[in-house]
Amino acid sequence: MSSKFQYDLVALVIFALVVAFGVPAVMNYDGFELNTFARYLALAIVSMALSLSWGTAGLLNLGQAATFGMGSYAMAMHLKLRASDGLPDFMGWNNVETLPWLWVPFESLTFTLLAGLLVPAFIGGLIAIFMFRARIAGVFVAIITLAFLVAFQLLFINQQGLTGGQNGLTGLAQMSLFGWTVDPYSMGFYNLVAGCLVVALAFGVYLTHSKFGLILRAIREDADRARFFGYNVASYQTLVFCISAALAGWAGMLYTLVLEFASPTYMSVSFSLAIVIWCAVGGRESVSAAAFGAIVVNMLEGRLSDVFVEGWHLILGVIFVLVVMFMPRGIYGLLSDSVQKIRRIRRTRDQRSVETFPNT
Amino acid sequence: MDVIANQLFAGLSMASILLMIALGLAIIYGAMGVINLAHGEFVMLGAYATWALQTYAGIGILPALPLVFISVAAVGWIVEKVVVQNLYHRPLDTILATWGIGIILQQAVRLGVGAESRFVKGPALLSGNTEIGPLIMSNYRLFVIVFSMAVLAATWVLMTRTEFGMKLRAVIQNRAISECYGIEAKRVYSITFAYGAGLAGIAGALITPLFSTIPTMGTGLVVDAFLVVIVGGLGSLIGSAAASVLIGEATAIFSIVINDTLGRIAVLAGIILLIRFRPRGLFPTETRR
Repeated sequence: MSSKFQYDLVALVIFALVVAFGVPAVMNYDGFELNTFARYLALAIVSMALSLSWGTAGLLNLGQAATFGMGSYAMAMHLKLRASDGLPDFMGWNNVETLPWLWVPFESLTFTLLAGLLVPAFIGGLIAIFMFRARIAGVFVAIITLAFLVAFQLLFINQQGLTGGQNGLTGLAQMSLFGWTVDPYSMGFYNLVAGCLVVALAFGVYLTHSKFGLILRAIREDADRARFFGYNVASYQTLVFCISAALAGWAGMLYTLVLEFASPTYMSVSFSLAIVIWCAVGGRESVSAAAFGAIVVNMLEGRLSDVFVEGWHLILGVIFVLVVMFMPRGIYGLLSDSVQKIRRIRRTRDQRSVETFPNT
Repeated sequence: MDVIANQLFAGLSMASILLMIALGLAIIYGAMGVINLAHGEFVMLGAYATWALQTYAGIGILPALPLVFISVAAVGWIVEKVVVQNLYHRPLDTILATWGIGIILQQAVRLGVGAESRFVKGPALLSGNTEIGPLIMSNYRLFVIVFSMAVLAATWVLMTRTEFGMKLRAVIQNRAISECYGIEAKRVYSITFAYGAGLAGIAGALITPLFSTIPTMGTGLVVDAFLVVIVGGLGSLIGSAAASVLIGEATAIFSIVINDTLGRIAVLAGIILLIRFRPRGLFPTETRR
């Protein structure tokens, strides 16, 4: 077990304890506050999903919001069907007479939960195969995923009868899981989201420290070299893209449960770049740091928008530019650098003491 | 038939606007490998500068162009000096930093001027239409098409026939060796960035009578302009011109064959395919990096 793995495990345990027990206590078990924090936690999952593909494998995916949106709409479609008897209301406004075949299987919760994970993974996988078979890398991955995101959002807004267009899906029912009706303002729901985040993080930590993660890092550093060693680079890249997309879909499902609606703004370019910002601020190399970044930035956004009603976006922009310029590895980089510095100082001190007492 | 002809003209008009925006982006990307996501905000700044000059000083669009060019170029120069210059060795991070700058510029304008949309009158000289048979062309759009070609020509002359252009091309080919020959690469980069920003400002000034001027107008434009640059081939001026005509016309034709939104989706899909199979663009330039 490497020391880095130990650090990550310790960070994960602390993170889990704070999120599960610390935060609700600080929030005074207030339903509204817990709901707000659950929103941050859901966003933390999509941020850590990006850190898998970006930080570990070096693939900057600017289309992460598309897979997030797929999960979010999958959940919203199920809850919309639960809320309406027969045809959802917006379909009537768009002269849709019968339930479209695409909607029919979303009557079942099991199908919805599976679809929210597998549909994003499948679509993400298709794009990944398409790109990585041609050895597309660097900036071009960012451009292709960005173009895909723009096209996908346009398509969603365009298909009003299927997706509710610009309005999204509103007026949703509450999910019932094994007879438990999920109230987004309850402690139980908060625990559900926190549990999902901790499981996702544990999975992420395991993945980055497994052999798979090691190979991904090798590909990030030098794809040609990894290829010469006999690794099938495209397959590894595709797999990490699928995993990242599935996690984003999972986050999307939780996000719909928190906010009780789904909107095409979840798939906008600004939202997608916001995910990149969270990940960069926290530190793209570590999944826990990326999740932490999402929580910190969103909390900051919440506080700043309370204090500076007008100028908080400006402050956020300045902070972000400063982070990119002076903390390229985010909060995580700052921490790991200072840990290393302390170690180095200690080591030189030890050496000096050896030099002064050569006979001991 | 006349529907198609008019649509082709609309496509050409869109292409000229795309070209104006993409040129500045192409120069910045070609020269320094910086993906400038704040470029759309430079366009927005140009539009607001034109609006301010017209409202407060009574200067029309055409006489305002040099002023707009200089002021937006100055903003670009400052951005390059303060932020971008420190990031040349980390090209992917420039995407993030310039996006942050874009947010800052956008919010600064929103706080200073307000979020409501502003209108700028087109020049009276170019108000009417020119009609050739069934084809109706607005004079102003014709002017923008001609002007964009003039800007393309001017940029080409700057790149190939001036001392500055020679230095820039030398730095693009090999920064270290050109520095050995006494070219100040840092200065060349600053001026190039400022020039690209200034071009974006002019583009913003020219589109004010055609688009509504709002703080968020740049975000959509930058994605399109960036796709033009990639499709055209990195740093190739002719490539950018060809790509903007291709994308402008394809959007116009698809939008009558299918509809506006699906037409745009089809064009985006085409672009994705093109990048997949020709990642170096239609007209790749031979440079060593």
